[in-house]
Amino acid sequence: MIDTRRRLWLAGIVVLAALGFLVFQGLGNATLYFRTADEAVAQRDQLGDRRFRIEGDVVDGSVRQVGNDVSFTLTKASVEVPVRHKGDPPELFRPGIPVVLEGRFQGDYFSSDRILVRHSETYVAENPERVTTTLR
Amino acid sequence: MTISPSSASTSSRTTTILGWLTVVSLALTAVMALVISPADVNMGDSVRLLYLHVPTAWLAMYVSFGVTTLASVLYLWKRTRSRFWDLTAGASAEIGVLFLGLTLLIGAIWGRITWGVWWTWDARLTTTAVLFVLYIGYLAVRKVPASPEVQSRRAAIVAIAAFLDVPIVHFAVEWWRTLHQDATFLSDRRLLDPQIGGTMAWTLFLGVVAFTLLYCWLMAHRFRLAWLEDRLADRAMQVAIDERRAEAVQS
Repeated sequence: MIDTRRRLWLAGIVVLAALGFLVFQGLGNATLYFRTADEAVAQRDQLGDRRFRIEGDVVDGSVRQVGNDVSFTLTKASVEVPVRHKGDPPELFRPGIPVVLEGRFQGDYFSSDRILVRHSETYVAENPERVTTTLR
Repeated sequence: MTISPSSASTSSRTTTILGWLTVVSLALTAVMALVISPADVNMGDSVRLLYLHVPTAWLAMYVSFGVTTLASVLYLWKRTRSRFWDLTAGASAEIGVLFLGLTLLIGAIWGRITWGVWWTWDARLTTTAVLFVLYIGYLAVRKVPASPEVQSRRAAIVAIAAFLDVPIVHFAVEWWRTLHQDATFLSDRRLLDPQIGGTMAWTLFLGVVAFTLLYCWLMAHRFRLAWLEDRLADRAMQVAIDERRAEAVQS
């Protein structure tokens, strides 16, 4: 009796561990949330015109309005990707910040239709003087 | 057979004091978050949502679900098995589900403002959504009819299984690439080197303390309510048995 129960528990644990491993592996593959700009350029041929997310920093001084579109350069690990974005970029979009774009390669540039602004876990006061000046 | 008003109340001197402490600390957090702490250089005023989003997540994931798990283990362990731990686990999970829902909601609003989207299927957001569903499932399992012992044991096992997702949610931002930022403090990299200004850090810390107090206060009331309900059910059962017995004697 105790032996069967123990064996059942053991089987249960093994099954759970296997499931956990599968989920972890599956998530690991499915959660390639974005490719960095340099990775995307390296995988250019495999990607073809497939839709994916690309991540990089917006190059300072590269943002330009072209009709209804916005063009700018994305960079990561000193690899640069020219971008054409359809529509208005989000409010917090500005040169120098990291962004994730959704879209595909089209000719020489990356054609994006969605810009997601990334944030790091770094929080810096807009004006560090503010607190001291108001308290004075 | 009636419960006197004093014993039927869920409040006591301690919970009243705790309640006031909670109100004061929440008010202080609000003042710190909205007035004293500065705007962020990138996020502007929307950074103030940090002081709600992190404390609600802390309350739900680590405190509530942590207590549910611990209570479930203590229930399953024969030496400590009692109704007390089962009711504690259930009460804590209810509070956890409520605040995890708030975490998701506030996170969506914050995401819309800073990222530009309400939702995206990155690893952190997806595993958190799974966690929310798992604990709703746990609350449902608690209600599946069975004898009280079977019900409690079943619930305890499900609670422990559901908790496996908590470390996955926590480490999702380190294991996989996500749109969601990494932890401000709770990671190897940031624990001793947080990248957050002094006033911002203190506001966040105060928020976490305030919401922990809120949890204790809610928990005291919710647990006592569950305890009273449990006693009432026992008495109703006793009354029913007595009535049947009386009928049997009459006939």
